[in-house]
Amino acid sequence: MASIKCPKCAAPVAFDAGTKFIKCSYCDSQIYIDRSGAGFYYGVPFVIDETNAMGLFRRWAAGPKKAKDLDKRAQVASVQKQYFPVYMLRRDVNGKEQVFFEPAGSTTLPGLHALKVPAGDLKIFDASFDTGGAELIKPDIEMVSYVDSLPGKPKEQALVFFPIWRLSYVFEQKRYDVVVDASAGEVFSAVFPTRSSAAYILVAVFGFLAFAFEGLLALDSMALALVLMMLTVIGVFAASFTVARRL
Amino acid sequence: MADISVGLNCPACGGAVSVVEGESTLLCPYCSSTLFIEGDQGVTTMAFKNRVNRESALKASRLWWSRGWKARDLKRVGRTTEVYPIYLPFWRAMTRVAGWICGYEIRRHTDSKGRVHEQKVPKEVMILNDYRFSEIATDPGDLGIRSLRNFAGETSFADFDMIPTFEATTSKDDALARARSDAQSRARSSAKVSRVTMERLHVLTRRLSMVYYPIWVVRYTYRDRMYMTTVDGVTGQVLSGRAPGDPLFQSLAITAGTSVGGLAAALGIIMSGIAAELMIVGLLAGGVILYITYRFFRHGSEIVEGEFKHKPASVSQTIKELQSAARTLQEAYR
Repeated sequence: MASIKCPKCAAPVAFDAGTKFIKCSYCDSQIYIDRSGAGFYYGVPFVIDETNAMGLFRRWAAGPKKAKDLDKRAQVASVQKQYFPVYMLRRDVNGKEQVFFEPAGSTTLPGLHALKVPAGDLKIFDASFDTGGAELIKPDIEMVSYVDSLPGKPKEQALVFFPIWRLSYVFEQKRYDVVVDASAGEVFSAVFPTRSSAAYILVAVFGFLAFAFEGLLALDSMALALVLMMLTVIGVFAASFTVARRL
Repeated sequence: MADISVGLNCPACGGAVSVVEGESTLLCPYCSSTLFIEGDQGVTTMAFKNRVNRESALKASRLWWSRGWKARDLKRVGRTTEVYPIYLPFWRAMTRVAGWICGYEIRRHTDSKGRVHEQKVPKEVMILNDYRFSEIATDPGDLGIRSLRNFAGETSFADFDMIPTFEATTSKDDALARARSDAQSRARSSAKVSRVTMERLHVLTRRLSMVYYPIWVVRYTYRDRMYMTTVDGVTGQVLSGRAPGDPLFQSLAITAGTSVGGLAAALGIIMSGIAAELMIVGLLAGGVILYITYRFFRHGSEIVEGEFKHKPASVSQTIKELQSAARTLQEAYR
């Protein structure tokens, strides 16, 4: 945990990322932490380990929009444990508080340039912070370039190191990138192999038309229509079960 | 460089004073002078006491597995890997809306000779309502939680150091602005005036506070895939979750949907001899039934409950889509 000097008795006072007011444990005086002038470094601890990240990727890959059995057929080519830097700039714009998030590292990774608010337990990032062997991506965009273009007065500016698992997988000779947020478990991806809805639509439309037709047929011959309906029920069920399982 | 730690003294007597976040006035304990605090306006912060233990969080999530259209073998194959509590930050706003909404309503009635009369009924509604609004103060990531459902519970900071706390990262003024517009639109719809001619509403903010709410995250695996549920740390109910679906339920849904929908359409066509409108009603009803079941058929391989960013398979989401489609159709027709 980070500490500041008490302005009264100069004793070190430990404080955490979210605190505004704190009491000095030595002289009991109340201290206000003014963050408007300084830049803070925060880090979010890894909550999701490698096995869980793989599990989250598999769940995501088994989703209804992804190619069928992508979770089983995708071959994971590389896994990287990384800390991605994001600027969090809290500003006072005409008396209203606004929060801006900007990436501090240039990236083409999916989700990271649009990553709005890192959800997680912010900790002060200093020498005692345990990165757990994750690769630290150096911020290569300066905070000044953002600060100068933003409106209002500064209230707090911080560089937040956000934990990610960067996976790349191969599916049908093509390589794709996925980022797993290692704090709240979200999966980011820009391009992925998709599943066609054609077979699903075909079954639905065919079944609907067949039943509508048999409904009309029931006016002339009830018995024939009922028999046909039974057959259609079986047919639609069998077709849809196959589609849901295999396509 | 400016100092980041600022000692607080009474400007009259120099004695040390303590300020609690969210307060704007203070009485100096030494010289009794009343002090007004200026500067970065904070908010009152409170935390709910975590009342749920590991076992009951697990039990709630296992119970959730067996409800609804989830994979039938989930109870047998599913393995819980992690159960842990977190504190999530929420903005909670109490607002009061006061004012008047005036307008009229048109009532149509048919008399004994079959003539249609239109009557304009003037309306004047006074509004004085209190509203409660809550919104998560961070990006919810993939937790599927956006707002608070429960506002009652014991408040205490006792567990605060033990449980990881997600920090508030959204702006309090943005949250307040959303709370106010939410209150205004809720007040407007509560008045039930169909044609408004005059509206004068005032939204008064009564309180904005930050609430830290305990949530249990339960992660489990099913055939190498990792899913999760979240359990309310005060009431012990499941708030959100993802679970594997079952192809059997998907195909049963579409079989039922095509048969009922198709027959409804056929019935409409048959009845069109009596009144032409019945055909349209029948075809429309059939189409809607088919669409809802189709959505489940197509997206039901994963069951998603809660306030997630995308969840195509849910019935409420589908109904919302249908409503917006109907509205665009209606506008195009006009």
